[in-house]
Amino acid sequence: MSSQNYSYNPSGQQASAPVTAESGRSVEYTCGDCDASVQLKRGEPIRCRNCGHRVLYKQRTNRMVQFEAR
Amino acid sequence: MPKIPTQEELEQRKRVQINAETVTNAQSNDFPHHWPGEDHSWNLDYFKSQFRVKFEKNERYDAEFSLIGLDTSVANAFRRILIAEIPTLAIETVFINQNTSIIADEVLAHRMGLVPLTASRKGLDWMSWYREPTEEDRGSGQPMDYNACQLRLEAACTWLDDDAINRANRGETDPNKLYKNHSIYAKDLVWVPSGQQNDKFEEPLRPTNPDILLVKMRPGQKIELFVQAIKGIGQDHAKFSPVATASYRLMPTIDITKPILGQDAKKFARCFPKGVIELEKVTEEEASEKKELEGKEGELKAVVKNPMRDTVSRECLRHPEFKDKVKLGRVRDHFIFKVESTGQWDSDLLFLESVKLLKVKCERVKRGLDAMMG
Amino acid sequence: MPGSTQDQVMTDAQSTRPEEDEHYDPAPDQDRIRVLSGATDTAASFQFDGEDHTLGNALRYIIMKNPDVEFCGYSIPHPSENKMNLRIQTYDNVSVYTVLDKGLDDLMDMCDVVIDKFTIARDDFNAQKQNA
Repeated sequence: MSSQNYSYNPSGQQASAPVTAESGRSVEYTCGDCDASVQLKRGEPIRCRNCGHRVLYKQRTNRMVQFEAR
Repeated sequence: MPKIPTQEELEQRKRVQINAETVTNAQSNDFPHHWPGEDHSWNLDYFKSQFRVKFEKNERYDAEFSLIGLDTSVANAFRRILIAEIPTLAIETVFINQNTSIIADEVLAHRMGLVPLTASRKGLDWMSWYREPTEEDRGSGQPMDYNACQLRLEAACTWLDDDAINRANRGETDPNKLYKNHSIYAKDLVWVPSGQQNDKFEEPLRPTNPDILLVKMRPGQKIELFVQAIKGIGQDHAKFSPVATASYRLMPTIDITKPILGQDAKKFARCFPKGVIELEKVTEEEASEKKELEGKEGELKAVVKNPMRDTVSRECLRHPEFKDKVKLGRVRDHFIFKVESTGQWDSDLLFLESVKLLKVKCERVKRGLDAMMG
Repeated sequence: MPGSTQDQVMTDAQSTRPEEDEHYDPAPDQDRIRVLSGATDTAASFQFDGEDHTLGNALRYIIMKNPDVEFCGYSIPHPSENKMNLRIQTYDNVSVYTVLDKGLDDLMDMCDVVIDKFTIARDDFNAQKQNA
């Protein structure tokens, strides 16, 4: 089976179905202050482990994205 | 009784007149029925006898040559094909797994598409066209070893050593002293040969200019991507054009109708690029032959040495001292071609390919005509 | 967790390529010729699909060199469409199709001469540079 990521416009978007969230998975975020990597599971309070800053940024997806070089 | 034009008359017909503010006699006029009593119908032997090619320069990626005896429409056809219709390999699809640099994905993809690639000619000629899979036929258009090439780029920027952060804090700004892999160049694109490409390509697929800066990064940023390069033509996208540019100009002519002497001659020479006009002393016999040169023996006279180097700025027509003594023009059927390749094709091969492609176009039309006629 | 990543897109196998790939034409709109309405045997307008000034002007020049041709001109009806119109009118009993055919042949002959002379001149120039 092949999930072809096809882009129909120059900006190229991914076309996969959204991943259903499971509580067994933790997602990595980046702290706004100290740039540390923070793993959080569903429902956990949103706070950096090191500095306690409450603004976390989501990291760039690891999914492959396809673009036309035009 | 058909009138046979003199050689001088034929020369004049081919001359485009360049006046101070107008250009005249620029149209081709060598058609049948245009000159009464003369036959100008297409004659292959006549064309063969008077058509000449003269090379000025033939470096690998830069060729300069003259085509003499051709018509503008055909020379232009060659130029247009050189720019837009010769198949070239270039990066078409970029698959990005990771890009945490500050250059946006699509911008990076666009830059990579414009990087000119080169490889062995044999391998490139062996490759065929890649077609996208169509809606109707889902199995079509798979990238295979004979129609697509893959290149890979993987780089991560890190601090140069443990002390680098401290150096930066102390004020060091030179990226070479602080970071490793901070600038990604075209040479970091690595070819991943597959299947028969290993055999067919004697020289590896690589960018022509390895020092093209693609993206700058800082510690913690990384790029992981691979790209697919396919054949295309310039008509589709400029990245597929095999020439930096291909251009031609007409051979300029400078006719000094009345002699220009002394200080005027020096000023005259300065109106043109170096080497076009040279100053020569008037000889005794010239002084005795021509009435205007009487008594002027020993003076400097302006002589046209190398009109090819002239850029036809018409500067000399701006000065009243000699603007009536000189006639500027261009030879309508003498084309000075300059083919500057980007590195995938050799310049002389490019021109040959362009002429072959014009032939292929004609053949295609002929087939269509035959099909239409039944 | 990160989604599935697409790795090898290329097929590594030593596959044979289909014959038809050799004739594939990259230029958009493969050539089709139509005769526009109102054509007679000595005066007709042709419409070429996928052609532009490159072939149009060159073909017009060669056809004009034919003494049987009363009129020859080409135009591109609209720059957004890839079509070229070519009109040929001949004197007396000469067929337009013959004239068009001859024009294409003449253009191909001209290309052959250019290729020959260019190759000879190039080889001479290279040899001269070697010896100098």
